[in-house]
Amino acid sequence: MIESFKHLEELAKDHDLADVFLETDAEEHGVPAEDILEALRKRRQVMRDCIVRGKNGGESMGKLVGSEARLLNEAFLKGQTFLDPLTVKAEIYALSVMGENSRMGVIVAAPTAGAGGIVPGMLMALEEERHIDPEKTVRALVVAGGIGSIIALSANISGAAGGCQNEVGVASSMGAAGVAYMMGGTTRNSIQAAALALKNTLGLVCDPVGGLVEVPCVKRNALFAVHGLTAAQLALAGVESVIPMDEIVEAMVRIGRALPRGLRETAEGGLATTDTGRAIAQRLKDEANRRRAERAAERERMAQERKATGG
Amino acid sequence: MPIRHDRKVSILDVMGPVMVGPSSSHTAGTARLGRVAREILDEDPLEVHFFLHPPLAATYRGHGSDFALVGGAIGLNVDDPRIPEAIRIAEQMEVKVEFAEEDLGEVHPNTVRVETRGPTREVEIVGSSIGGGVIEVFKINGFQTRFKGDSPTLLLFYRDRPGMIAEVATLIAEEGINIASLYCSRKQRGKDAFMQVDVDSPLSKAALQRICSLTDVADARYLDRIP
Repeated sequence: MIESFKHLEELAKDHDLADVFLETDAEEHGVPAEDILEALRKRRQVMRDCIVRGKNGGESMGKLVGSEARLLNEAFLKGQTFLDPLTVKAEIYALSVMGENSRMGVIVAAPTAGAGGIVPGMLMALEEERHIDPEKTVRALVVAGGIGSIIALSANISGAAGGCQNEVGVASSMGAAGVAYMMGGTTRNSIQAAALALKNTLGLVCDPVGGLVEVPCVKRNALFAVHGLTAAQLALAGVESVIPMDEIVEAMVRIGRALPRGLRETAEGGLATTDTGRAIAQRLKDEANRRRAERAAERERMAQERKATGG
Repeated sequence: MPIRHDRKVSILDVMGPVMVGPSSSHTAGTARLGRVAREILDEDPLEVHFFLHPPLAATYRGHGSDFALVGGAIGLNVDDPRIPEAIRIAEQMEVKVEFAEEDLGEVHPNTVRVETRGPTREVEIVGSSIGGGVIEVFKINGFQTRFKGDSPTLLLFYRDRPGMIAEVATLIAEEGINIASLYCSRKQRGKDAFMQVDVDSPLSKAALQRICSLTDVADARYLDRIP
């Protein structure tokens, strides 16, 4: 078992990071390395499909989001975006995946559904823009997953446990390590990329409006995909975190525990309890009650019908 | 320094699962919890009751956890695109479904108690969706346990007596199967007991039959990895 990031760095110093993760994971969980790779090839394809479907947008379950991916994609295609294509694509792809997620589409939790746009946003944009072999992306998914699995030794990966830092923070950290790997970085570069990305999401709260994975989650995924890219850029240039990754994870756990319950996915604080947030929550509640009443009426009607035809 | 729980999560657990949105805790994990109840029941349910811990009760509807729990409880996988239709499908199957709030004590916020009844048996589980689709079931039919659904598992209900663990372990060893972990609990000495055996490779029907026919075994259930 890889005990810590310090341990990982020693273990993988002169080895390919993906190989080290594959080897230890296969040993630990009894799944052969080739099976892990094959599963991740399929998951990369699910990500790809998600991006293709999601680019066109569409209304979410709670009707709070839906047009983000389409708007940015249209602007990009018309040449009206000002950022470089890699960054814009990372945003479009993250928004696409999160749009699909908000419509109960099939996605890859990476590491969670609510933060599921970040890793595909970063990795798929990079693959396309830098013409990287898709097999390398699959190996970057191994790296990202491996980083997440070490974080998970200390932290529950959920907003309910520690706020959004535990989801979006962890996702951008995993993605940053994957990007550093895809760009030919060393093991140390990948760990530093993960550290820089995670460190700068600490304290991020989970305060979803109406309790839905829509506001602020969808747009936040796009912004933190870019955050992860910049962390990888710094790390690849040799910029390093003063606080080691293991200690950053510890800090994250402590901060998560200190967060009030209202800021841990309960929709009882932060953005969720702003005037607008409350009004939306009320509307959602009214709509749900109406739908329930309609369903009950429909059941009643069917029961009556059965009685009439049966009798 | 915070206490590490040293929960060994695999790469595929972190970079996955492939699932129907919108929330891995609220959709994927809950669907898997429902599915655990369905797999232990081992027949189509007639009734399923969900008792949600207050934090989950506050958030479940917006995340589609109701669809996911029901979907799992009627046997759908977490990546089944029919999950959004699960409640309607359950209605068509004439499964009675009910949701209620219940304080389940000092547990993870996303914890649920599931009671399900089929034509021949009843099952009760209590478990948490701890993030990323990962679950921990800590009670099965009133017995303490630690079930994650990430490996093939044998669940055994029996009367507590000396030698039972050895006999079960021997039958499994004769199959050439390695036991990954073993967890036992009982309600009272010499009375109802429970054994959970996580194994590294699938157990054959014949082996399960042999285990079932051991003296004092009331019921045995073999579960594959919960998808």
